[in-house]
This record gives sequence, structure tokens and C-alpha cells, in this order.
Amino acid sequence: MLFVAKMVYRELKSSWKRLAFFFICVAVGVAAIVALRSLIQNVRLALGEEARTLMAGDVSLSTDQPWSDGVRDVIDARLANIDSLQRTETVDITTMVRLPDETSARTKVVELRGLRPEFPFYGEFALAGGETYTFDLLTGGGALVGPELLTQMGLEVGDEILIGSGKFTIRGVILAEPGRQLGAFSFGPRVVVEHGAVETAGLLTVGSRARRQILLRVESADEVEPLVEQFRDDLQDEFVRVASYRGRENRIERNLERTENYLSLIGFVIVILGGIGVWSVTRVFVQQRLRSVAILKCLGATNGRILAIYMTQVGLLGLGGSLLGVGLAQAAMGAVPESFSEQAASAAGLSGISMDLTGSAVLQGLLVGLLISLLFAVVPLLDVRHAKPLLLLRHGRAEASLAIDWVRLITIGFVGGALVVVAIWQADSFKVGLWVVGGFAVVTIVLHLIGRGLVRLVAPLQLSGWFPLRHAVLNLSRPGNQTRVILLSVGLGSFFIIGVHAMQANLLSTFDLELRDDTPDMFLIDIQEDQVDGVRTILKDSVGESPALIPVLRARITGLEGEQHSFENARGARQARLGREYTVTYRAKLEENERIIAGRFWDETPALEPEVSIESDLYEEQGIQLGDSLRFDVLGREITARVTSIREVQWDDSRSGGFMFLFRPGSFGEAPHSYIALMHGPNGVDERARLQRDVAARYPNVSIIDGLPVIDTLRRVLEYVTLAISVVGGIALFSGGLILVGSVAMTKFQRAYEAAIFKTLGANTRVLATMLVLEYGVLGALAGTVGSLGALILTWALAAQVFDITWMPSGFVNVMGIGLTAVVVAIVGLISSLGVLQRRPMFALRAE
Amino acid sequence: MAMIELRCVSKTVSSAGQPLTILQPTDLLVEPGEFLSVVGSSGSGKSTLLGLIAGLDTPSSGEIFIDGVEITGFDEDRLARLRGDKIGFVFQFFHLIPSLSAFENILVPLEIAGGAGAREKAEELLEDVGLTARGHHYPSQLSGGEQQRVAIARALANDPPILLADEPTGNLDSSTGHQVIDLLVDINRAKRMTIVMVTHDAELTNRSDRVLSMRDGKTEFAMPLERSTQS
Repeated sequence: MLFVAKMVYRELKSSWKRLAFFFICVAVGVAAIVALRSLIQNVRLALGEEARTLMAGDVSLSTDQPWSDGVRDVIDARLANIDSLQRTETVDITTMVRLPDETSARTKVVELRGLRPEFPFYGEFALAGGETYTFDLLTGGGALVGPELLTQMGLEVGDEILIGSGKFTIRGVILAEPGRQLGAFSFGPRVVVEHGAVETAGLLTVGSRARRQILLRVESADEVEPLVEQFRDDLQDEFVRVASYRGRENRIERNLERTENYLSLIGFVIVILGGIGVWSVTRVFVQQRLRSVAILKCLGATNGRILAIYMTQVGLLGLGGSLLGVGLAQAAMGAVPESFSEQAASAAGLSGISMDLTGSAVLQGLLVGLLISLLFAVVPLLDVRHAKPLLLLRHGRAEASLAIDWVRLITIGFVGGALVVVAIWQADSFKVGLWVVGGFAVVTIVLHLIGRGLVRLVAPLQLSGWFPLRHAVLNLSRPGNQTRVILLSVGLGSFFIIGVHAMQANLLSTFDLELRDDTPDMFLIDIQEDQVDGVRTILKDSVGESPALIPVLRARITGLEGEQHSFENARGARQARLGREYTVTYRAKLEENERIIAGRFWDETPALEPEVSIESDLYEEQGIQLGDSLRFDVLGREITARVTSIREVQWDDSRSGGFMFLFRPGSFGEAPHSYIALMHGPNGVDERARLQRDVAARYPNVSIIDGLPVIDTLRRVLEYVTLAISVVGGIALFSGGLILVGSVAMTKFQRAYEAAIFKTLGANTRVLATMLVLEYGVLGALAGTVGSLGALILTWALAAQVFDITWMPSGFVNVMGIGLTAVVVAIVGLISSLGVLQRRPMFALRAE
Repeated sequence: MAMIELRCVSKTVSSAGQPLTILQPTDLLVEPGEFLSVVGSSGSGKSTLLGLIAGLDTPSSGEIFIDGVEITGFDEDRLARLRGDKIGFVFQFFHLIPSLSAFENILVPLEIAGGAGAREKAEELLEDVGLTARGHHYPSQLSGGEQQRVAIARALANDPPILLADEPTGNLDSSTGHQVIDLLVDINRAKRMTIVMVTHDAELTNRSDRVLSMRDGKTEFAMPLERSTQS
């Protein structure tokens, strides 16, 4: 042991500079794991402390329909037996805010919440300027608003706004608010008013999309879960969601845990890239050490002891790299501006998120870094067993054994298995771990094969009459070359980056296609029957023609009598994944974006009995068949309809909208319904604003949503996603660059010797530099092509299988990707080889 | 009992798919304290013979005994231990570990053997070869002669009964080569160490007890020279 320890010390002393380089690759991945895990763990910790604040109560009962007397009776009966209970109600609706000044065209879609005095049971409002929240701020027409409403509409505290038919005075600015769902998608800024004001403002019309909630606070936490269970039993046939703060906490907890594990996998993939670097350096290192190993064997050292020396060395460097990674993570977390973390915390409804590293994240990062270093080093290190002391006498290579190396094969199997185990551990899911390692293996093999094919493709250039090009290409297949490793690592990095940018280009061009002149970009919802003519007139005045107003009803499925499935109540519908509320319509004709794939579509005569046409997804995924009978609850009215056709809707052609359930006219009798309109709004910003204002002023309950900002938001989201994945790709490419620089350093002596011979034979520095630029340029172009081909496969698969959009290969992104990779690799290769070019030939020849 | 004994040892390798015998069946006895020179042209089988004696290679047939122990069936690790205990090596190209200093190179076999007082012994050996002042230098900072003296010190570290030298002067100038041979002869006399030395240089064979001549894988003894003529 003492011998091993001393040798490790001496070896590290002399070669750590060359080796440490590669462990920086490990450090980058470990930093990613530690930082991402710590961040999410800190969020989880903060959530654990503020769980009840997220709901603002213990139990929530919510519905998208007005509370019926029957449901209220059930709830009252259940609560009658509970002592010390507190109860309040809220109502949420997406609506429009406008200004009292009739000449101003400014309007804004907002998320309005109506509250009663008891709210909140837990947590506190944080208001700007340190104001304290009291219900008095809301009484008598008061409103609290999100800060973005003030900036977007140019308002101040004290100004008046119109919501529906009500006038409100802004009395405060909300910075944080209890009971706001974490990460919920929002159409606009928050506005909080008195509960009763929502109704008096005329916003709760028939079919309006208001969400009503009864919030409870019970005396003891032990009562929460039994109460939730009892309510679920009581209300199983009603459209009421029952949730406890703990259930919501658990769901958020599960989501966060999953997020933590998925994000860690990104770090894991980067660590694996680092592992490839470790493998590459170890391989070259062992080749360079074979003579020393032979000498040690001559002096009596056994294979076991020699392996122990190098494994310990790798372990220490792996640990060093991992510690460096922890340092990087600490630096990265420390560099996050406080304002950003505060914003993130407030978006998550939390009072603050710590930016410290957590112990468990650090431990996991260190372990993963160490394990990956050892696992990737062990196979190339096994080559020391084949270092024959005889080569010291023969001054060449000892004969390689042709026998199958079982130890090596078993070790490779063990390493593969161990990688799967580490991935499963990191993902905390057997399936995901297996997929990640399997996916990585497949991508690696595909990229490797493409790389090999490309190297062969350029092989004819070896016959080129131009000396630098000939040697540049020859160098790609020189003994001990790093071509495959560099192609793989740089190729993988460029694959990520080109892939995500190509996908972004594809998605954006699909958006652009959808934003043709006739594409709807404004949506009117909740138009009441008696408002149809008036709305038509306003729209006609604004855009010259009146768009079709589509009648819609909101329906829930309460029963199915079918060939494959049957159920009798709302619970059955929920289990069959049909429990959500559907917006349905009726008409006598198919739209342009629809076609019948089974059954027959009805003619224009009204239905004698209700008939429904279903979208093909309901047939394919929920197994609803032609001839099945579906029972719907349409605002309290029961309608049973027979499925007489199955339609396919082209969702990406949004001109005519799309409905999962389409009824034959006459099916609903006199059931109350509202209308929606899809229209291409006026072109000018002012005209659009004026139209919104005119509609909102005359029909306050109608919401008119401008699609352009929504599409802009989607674009922005897409840009963020692209940026995030590009950062991952960038880190992968950076790791690839490190491997490239490292491999140049590892083969420096050989290159210096060759360069010396070339110089002795008359080649000048310029010729040698050209040779290097060509060699690395060709290597970079090949790696870029590898990445680009991989990206084409990826974008095709994503477009066709996931996004269901037309695949459009982006020539520009791919060509730029290849070109930039070639330039970057050529520059990095040349800079890392400057020492070789500058060295005097005599020095190099003597050293050899 | 002979220090080195070969019984009908041969070595056949495959060359372009055809078997090629590079050492014909050979018997050899080397007595304790004997200094044997092996001479022959390039490719005559000298290094093969040396490699077989050291257990660096396995014979195609025959048996090899070192200090009375048959080593023919030993696996790699047992052979490594045997070399650590019984055999010191000196090579034409010195083969010092480039990442270790001169002193550390001498220290390595002592540490592998695991005995006490390794540092003192290494310092002593460094002094014996006259390189005390150069102990902290790396091989690339030493001249050829100095490197070979370090290699000899390293070979002697564990007081092995056998020293095998593969053209120890082949990479040195004439004067340095003579110094190295003087050192080997002194060791042979002082320590009664068995030395087998492969060399091209006929003049150097004058210093040995016997000369084994090799040609096309066959061995024959030249006339043993009188020791009196060596001094």
C-alpha cells in the first residue's frame, strides 16, 4: 500500500497538469448537477415551510359552474358537524380592464379574483411600499393590482379602472399573494376585488369561464384528509374538485422532485461527456506509460499494484475535478443577481429562495463525478496488464495476444451496468435511467458510425497534390489519433446546438405559416345570445366584415354506454380521462380543416335525436366507438347523444377552430349557450386596441383576447427553451473543446517530433500551420456534419412524432452549424498547437 | 547448484504465418558469481535468451531454473515478484521512469519489495555510483552515462543474486562505456553477483569469465578467457 501511495504521489506530481485538464470536463458536469439540484432543493425547502400559503387554506372545493343549491346543501350538511371551522369563498375569472376615459383605447386582459373578508387563512399579501393588507382596501370599489398592470396601462395607485360594468379604484400593488398556484399559466396581471363586485360588474353570465372556490380552515391538521375523503364521496357525481393543501403540496413536491431529477440528468449527460474525455486521456496516457509500466514490472511490481497506482490517481483527480465542480456551482449560484432570485421566488409565491448549495446535492455531485471518472478510466487502464517488460529488450511492441480478453469484456459489461445504475439513481426512475443510458448509447453509436463514414469519405484527399491537405487528412487516421473521440464529443455538442436551433426555426416557420392573412388572431369569448347582433355590428365596423359567431356550450361527460367502455357517473368519466369540461358546438357542415374518417356526417335537417361527431383522438386514445352513447351534462341539463361519425381535425390550420365534440343542430333544444368568434383583427395596433375597447365598453362580460401578444409570449417561451438547451449544448461543445485541447496536449510530443522532422526536411512554419488548420478544420467540419446529420434526424423525429407539424429541414442553420464548428475547432486546434510550431527542431529531436 | 539453468530451452515465433525458431534448443548453466558475456550479431537471439532468463518471455519448450527454482510455469505476477527478489536489470536505453527523479527511480524497487530503510539504501546506492549530487534530477536532465549509472544502482537496489545487462554500453561513448563496464566488474567481484551481459563489443567480453557466442539462434561457448588477462 505504501508503495502504491508513494507512486501515486510521484506520478501526480509529474503529470497532474496534463491529466487535470480532462477532469475539468468532469467539473463542468458536476457543477451542473450540484447547482441545479441545490436550487430545486432550496425551492422545495421553502415550499415545505409555506405549503399552506400556496392554498391559503386547508381544504379547497372548486368548480367551473355556479354552485348549485344541491351541492351547497351537501357541503353545508357535511360542515355542520365540524366545530371551529372557518369558511370563505373566492371567484376567479379572466376578463378585461379598461380606462374610464372614453377616448383611451387601452385595454388589458387580466386575471381577476374576488375575495371575502376571511381570506386568507394562511399567508399574507405583500403590498408595494410596505402597505399592510386589510379587506377595507377592497370594500367600496377598491382593487389591488399586479405591478405589471400599472406599467402596461400607464396607471398609478389612486387611478380608476373599469372592469365589466364596475368602476374600481386602485388602492395598492400586489407583490406576493397567498393562494396563487405555483407556475400557473397566466393570461395577464392579477387584479383582486371584493367577491360581490365580480357579480355586480356583470361578469358571471351564462357560460362564463369563472372558477368558484370554497376555502376551509379546520382546527386540526388531522381533520384535513378525512374531510377531503368525505367530500370526494359526497360529491363524486358533481363537477367539484376537492383538494387539500397537503395534496397540492405533494403534487408540487412530486413535480419538483421530478424536475430536480430531470435537470440532474442534464448534468449527468455533461458528466458523461466529461467521462468520454477521461476515457480518451486515460487511453493516451496508458499508451505513453506502457514503457514505465514495463519497467515497473521488470522491477517486480505486479499488475494489481500497477492498476492500483493508476486507479488511485484517477480517483484523486476525479475527486479533485468534482471538488472543482462544487466550487464552480458555488460561484454560479453566488453570481445569480439577488433581484432575479427575488423575482423567481415571488413568481413561485414564496418569500425567498436560498442560493446556497445543499449538502445532499454536493455529496451527489462528488459521488457522480468520482464514479464516472473511475468507470470511464478503468477499461483503458486495463491495458497496463498487456504492457510486456519484453518490449524493453525488443525496442518495439510486444506481440499482441489474439485471445479474447475476458477480464476486459466483463469490465466493459460492469461499467455499462454501473452507468445504468448511476443514471437510474440520478433520475430516480428505472425506466428513465435506462432510457437515458440507452439513448446516449444509441446516439453515440450513430454519431460514431456517421463519423467513421465521413472519415472514409474524405480519405481520397490523401492523394491530393497539395502537401498540407494530404498530411492533414493523413493525420486524421494516424496511429493513436483522437479523431473518433473528438468527432464524438464535438459532434455531440454541435448536435445539441444545431438540433435545437433547427427545431426552433422549424417551429417558428410553422407559426409564421399559421399567421397568414386569413389566420384568426383575435378571439372573442362569452358573447351572450342577446349580444350577438351588437357584437357583429362592432366587428363589421372595425374590419369591414362580420366573422362567423360560433355557438358554444360547456359540457361534461357523465356517462358512456359503449362497445369498449361504459361508465355511469362523473367518477367513471374521470377514470376514463374524459373528466374535463369540453367546449362543444353544433353545425350542419364540416369546416375546411375537418374530414370524416368513419361513419357518416349528418345532412342539414335538424336532429330527431341528439347526434355527436367525435374527434379522432377520442376514438384512438379514449376508445370511444361509432354507435356509442354519450351522456353529457350541459349546464345542468342532461343530453344523451349517439356517436355517428369520427372526424379528423387539422389542428395546425386554426382558421376554423376545432372541437372535440360536434353536435347535430337541434340536439340541444333550448339549452342556454354563448358564442365565440375567431377573427383576423385589424392590422394597426391602435385599431386593435380600439376594437377591444369598443367591445369591452359595450359588452363588459365579453372577453376579447388578442392572439398576437400570446403568440409573442409563445415565441419568447420558445426562445427561452432554445437558450436553455443551447446552454446545455454549449457546455457539451465546451467539453468537446476541452477534450480537443487536451488531446492536442497529449499528443504534443509526437507532433513536436514530427514537426521537427518536417522542418528538417524543409517545411516552414507556414506550411505546418496550414497543415494544422486544415487538419482541425476538416475535423471540425466532420464533427459539424455529424452533429448536423444527427440534428436532421432529431428534428424530423420531433416534428413528425411529437409536435405533429410539417418537417422543414433548415439549410441555413445546418450549414452555419457546420461552418462555425469547423472554424471553432480549427482555431482551438491551432492555438493549442502553437507550442509545437514554435519549438526548434533540434530540441524536439534531442528530446525524442 | 547453478544460479541459472536452461534445459533444452527453445523459442519459436510466428512470422508471416510461418513458424520461425529464434532460439534453438539450448542448455546452459551459469554458476553463482560468474560473469557471462553473450555475443552475436543482430538477430542472433541474444536478447531472446536474456528475456527468457528474466522471465520476460515464455519458452516454446524446455525448462528454466533460477536459483534452483523452476520458473517456466510461473504466471505474470509470480514472475514479477521473482524479478523483484532475484534479478536486477540494466538496459541499453537505460529505461528509467521519466516522471521520477534519479533518486526516486532507485527507490522504486526497494519500495516494491517493501523492506525498511529504503531511503537510506537508495542514498547509499546513489553514492556508490557517484551521483549523490544529481539525485533530484529527472532522467531527461542527466547524460547517458549518468542515466546508465542510475539504472545500475536501481538494478542493485534489492541485492539481487543475478544482474542481467542488455548491451549496457551500446548507447554510450567509448570512455563512458568503459566506466560502466568497470562498475559492473567491480560489482561482480565485490558482491559475487552473477552477471549475464549481452554485448556487441568484443573488447568488453575480455572482462568476463566466459563468452557465449550466438548465431541464428544457436549457442556455442568461445574459449573462457583467463581472468589474469582481464586486469
